[in-house]
Amino acid sequence: MYNCVYMVDKAALSGVIEKERLPAGREELAEPLVAHSQRERILVAMAESCAARGFNATTIADICEPAGVSRATFYELFKDKEDCFGAAMEVALADAMGRVLSAYSPDKPWATMVRDAAAELLDLLSRRPAFARMALVEAPAGGDRAFELYASGKRVLQSLLDRGREDPVEEEAIPSSAGRAALSGAESLIVGQILADNAERLRELLPDVVYITTVPYLGQEEALRQSREAERLPGAMPPRPPGG
Amino acid sequence: MERGREGDRWRPPRGRHRLPREVVTRSQRERLLDAAVRVVAEKGYGAMTIGDLTREAGVSRTTFYELFEDKQQCFLAAYDNAVEALVRRVTAAYESAGEWPERAAAGLAALLETLAEEPDLARLSLVDIGNAGPAAQRRYRAAVQRLTPLFEEGRDYAAGGRALPANTSRMAIGGVAGLIADELLAGRAEQLPELLPELMFATFVPYLGPRAATEEMRRTAAG
Repeated sequence: MYNCVYMVDKAALSGVIEKERLPAGREELAEPLVAHSQRERILVAMAESCAARGFNATTIADICEPAGVSRATFYELFKDKEDCFGAAMEVALADAMGRVLSAYSPDKPWATMVRDAAAELLDLLSRRPAFARMALVEAPAGGDRAFELYASGKRVLQSLLDRGREDPVEEEAIPSSAGRAALSGAESLIVGQILADNAERLRELLPDVVYITTVPYLGQEEALRQSREAERLPGAMPPRPPGG
Repeated sequence: MERGREGDRWRPPRGRHRLPREVVTRSQRERLLDAAVRVVAEKGYGAMTIGDLTREAGVSRTTFYELFEDKQQCFLAAYDNAVEALVRRVTAAYESAGEWPERAAAGLAALLETLAEEPDLARLSLVDIGNAGPAAQRRYRAAVQRLTPLFEEGRDYAAGGRALPANTSRMAIGGVAGLIADELLAGRAEQLPELLPELMFATFVPYLGPRAATEEMRRTAAG
């Protein structure tokens, strides 16, 4: 199905992201303090209200007040609460996918790429706990659009893991669901941390996430080596070079 | 879904009767819990109303509020009931057989059979629980973690078990739960038992590596 083998083909992954209609990297999450446009402030307020009281209990007033906008402005920009939630999810996903893509480099082996993408994502989630909760706790239980966005983001990550299948060190009939199971396992660990209000420490889970996502394809010894290497990475990814 | 299906549970005869009040209440409570399972399966937790529950269970609104504060409390009580039965059955199967791979496979098989027998309960336990708010989510996680011993024993069984990352069993459980939830979302509850080999692989691979996991998967499936 995928013609690219060990080295990862960035164009192929971009293709998957495009097929899922995710606007990768076109929009990044605004930091709350510098969110300048009304729209950005509303999206940040939406995520924060979801984190604080959940989507169902969130009212338009809960969003407008911290965003410093009027109800009239809210309804000029969004049809309703669901529409606003969908828009916030789109921005969050666009940012996440942009970071996954930034972990790509044509000369990087698959395992290094998985590690770097996981580091980027955990880093993003730990710095934006409200969006983390919105995307991984609220969206899976949300309406059709939110769920579809959540599911499409997951499919992209899964296709990234499935590429490990192209070069299995241990040639065995690995079930086709191996990547999906590994991803669910990592997700479950991450969601547990978010529900325990420990989102800001998510980055510490990198060695675990690297192990579970690579072990089906690399075997235990190599997956452990990758995991230990991840442990030695600096606590956060270095800032990307300008234009990089 | 099977609307209007007669519940298996005994219900007191309509009209005047002389049953002790405690017996009546217990049966009303059980009927409401059964109703919650059916209504959630039919329309989802979000759309479920107290009216649905009282109609389905054949009890009055007043009775409902004597027994539960709100629909969430009723739902969570139904959930606890379901999980208790499930964990008991899985644990019994797990404790019956020899070494870890056989034990784990027996536990997983019992899990899949139980869920396939009661698809409504399965959906409630693994899918709809996520829609019922953070309290329900924590409940779900606590329930899933009760299956930890089934996985954690893999660490002792595996040669290099001690060197594995701290959260290995949590992630293994999460992977298994994720694969089951995907099947349920796809409406394939009845076919769940077919998932056994894949669940075995997901369970074994973090502890034994892909080669041994595949071998154990084949061996256990054959034996």
